[in-house]
Amino acid sequence: MKKRSLVLVTVDCLRADHVGFLGYSRAVTPALDALAQNSVVFSAAIVAGAPTYFSFPAIMASRYPLALGRDILGIAPHEVTLATSLRDAGYTTAAFLAGNPYLSPHFGYEQGFATFRDFLESGSADTSVSGAVPSTNFLSDFNRRIQADSRRTGLTGAAYDALYFWYCQWRLRRENVSMDSLRRYPPADVLVDEACSWLSGLREQPFFLWLHLMDPHHPYYPPAEALSSLDKSDITPRRARFLNSFWNRGDIGARRLERHRDEIIALYDAGIFWVDKQISRLVQALQKFQRWDGTVFAVTADHGEEFLEHGRRYHSPTSLPEQLIHVPLLLRSPEVSGMRLSQEPFSLIHLAPTLLDAVGVAVPDNFQGRSHWKEISAGNLLSEPAIVECVASNNPFQPSDRMRPRLMAVRDAMYKLVIDFNQNFNGITDSFYDLKNDPGEHSPVPDGALPEVRARLFKIARAHLQQTQRNRNVELRLLAHLRAIQQSPAKNQSGAISALPPTGSC
Amino acid sequence: MTQYRTVNLPEDLCAAAEKRLPSRFDSLEALLSFLLQEIAKDEASRLDQAEEQVLEQRLRDLGYI
Repeated sequence: MKKRSLVLVTVDCLRADHVGFLGYSRAVTPALDALAQNSVVFSAAIVAGAPTYFSFPAIMASRYPLALGRDILGIAPHEVTLATSLRDAGYTTAAFLAGNPYLSPHFGYEQGFATFRDFLESGSADTSVSGAVPSTNFLSDFNRRIQADSRRTGLTGAAYDALYFWYCQWRLRRENVSMDSLRRYPPADVLVDEACSWLSGLREQPFFLWLHLMDPHHPYYPPAEALSSLDKSDITPRRARFLNSFWNRGDIGARRLERHRDEIIALYDAGIFWVDKQISRLVQALQKFQRWDGTVFAVTADHGEEFLEHGRRYHSPTSLPEQLIHVPLLLRSPEVSGMRLSQEPFSLIHLAPTLLDAVGVAVPDNFQGRSHWKEISAGNLLSEPAIVECVASNNPFQPSDRMRPRLMAVRDAMYKLVIDFNQNFNGITDSFYDLKNDPGEHSPVPDGALPEVRARLFKIARAHLQQTQRNRNVELRLLAHLRAIQQSPAKNQSGAISALPPTGSC
Repeated sequence: MTQYRTVNLPEDLCAAAEKRLPSRFDSLEALLSFLLQEIAKDEASRLDQAEEQVLEQRLRDLGYI
C-alpha cells in the first residue's frame, strides 16, 4: 500500500472557542469549517503543557514537558520524534515555522527535518509593544530621574506610568506605519508560499510537512485585508499600535483594560482569519499537485490565549484555565467522510502516535502517548483524563529560571483539578471545577464536595508524578545538558545566546 | 572532608576543551564535575520528589489515602 503523507499545521495561541467548527459565532474560519465537514473534529482537545515551550515536546515527541526534568526545554538530541520517525520511514520532511525562538534548532526542533526554516533570521520589526519612543540621552537621563522619584509612592508611580504611556502615544502620533511594518512574525501567507514552493518540487515520495503559524500571537497586527474581511477596517495600523500598547500596559488593572478588549479580540480574530485563508491555499496547492487524496491533514494549536476572562492577558502559565489549555484539533483523513465529532477529552500527548498510526508508520516505544486512531476510526474514542503540566515562569530561556514549582491540571470530561505547588515545594493550592455546570471556571467546587471525583483526579496527578520519576530518560537528559553547554558562549567570546525571546513572549 | 580521585585524560583533549570552555565553567574540573553530578543526582528529580510528597500529604489530609 502506498504510504500516506502528513501535513501538520500548528497555530500559536489559537483557542478552541474561536473557531467556527467548535461554535464561534464570528465567521473567522470558513475554510476550516468546510474542512471539518469531512474530518474528525475533537471538541475537547487539551494540550499537555502551555505555553509553546511546554506544549511542543508532547506534540512533536509525545513526551510530557517536564518528563526529562523541568530544566530541560525542547527536544533532546537524538530524541525520537514524529519527524524522525517519518524520516526513518522514508518520508521527505520539511518544517516552516514563523519565527518562534522556542521552536528553533537551539531547542532541537530541526531534528528529523531535511528542510527546516524557522524565519528567525529576519528579526523583529516591532517596536511598539512598550510604546517606547526614541529620545536623546539628555531626555532619557531626565526621564529616568523622574521615574525613580515617582516610585516613592504608589500614587506618583501610577501617575508617572500613565503620563509616560500617553506621552509615548503623543510622540508616535505622526509616524507613518503599516500593519506589515509593525508585525513581529512572518504572516501565514509567507509560510504557505514557502510550503507550496517546497511541495511543487516533490516527486512521488511520501512527505511530512509541518507549518507553525504565529498570526494570532501578540502583538496583534493582522494584514489589513483580514481586518477588512471581518468588517473591521476602522482599526487602522496606528489604532492597532495604540491598542497593542494599551493592552500591554502593566500599570493598570483588568477593569481599565476591559475598555479595549473587543477591539483587541477583533485583531486576534483577524489573525485567525488570515491563518484560515492561507490553510485554504495550502489545501488547494495539495489538490493541484494531486497529493490531497493521499494526505492526512491535521490542524491544532499549542495553547490558547486569555482576554481577561480571569483578569489575565496573553498566555503566561500562571494558571491553567480552559482558555489556555483547550485547543482546536481537526484531523482530516482520506477515508473519513462526513464530520465525526469526538467529544471526549483528547490529550495532545496522543497526537503524534495517532498521526503515525493514521499514515501507517509504526509508533515508537518511547512515546508516552498512544495511538487512538483505531478508536477514532471506529467512532468510539474512550474517555481518558488529560494531564497538563508546566512551570509557572514568565520566560524560561535560561535554565536557572526553570527550577520553579510545577503547575498542573487533571481534566476529564466533566471535572478539572488544578494543582499549584508553592514556592517552597512544601504545600499546594488546589482548585477543583465542575466544568459542566461552571464552564467558565468562576467558582471552584467547595472543599468537601464530590470527594470521590476529587480523590480520583488527585490520584491521577500523583501517579503522573511517580511515573515521571520512574521513567526518566537519563541519557536524553544528559544529551540535552551537553547541547546547552555547547551552546553557551565560550569564555573568550562575548555576547549571549542568539535569538533571545522577549520577556513574556511565546 | 571530600576525598578526590585522579582521572587520566589525554592532555591534548583537555587543552583543546579548555580553549572552548563555556563561560559558566571556571575550569575543566568544574565542567566535568557538573556532568558527573548530572549523572549522580539531578536537582530536577529532587523537586519532582518533593512535589510527589506534598501531593501524598494532601491526599492524606483529605482522607483519600
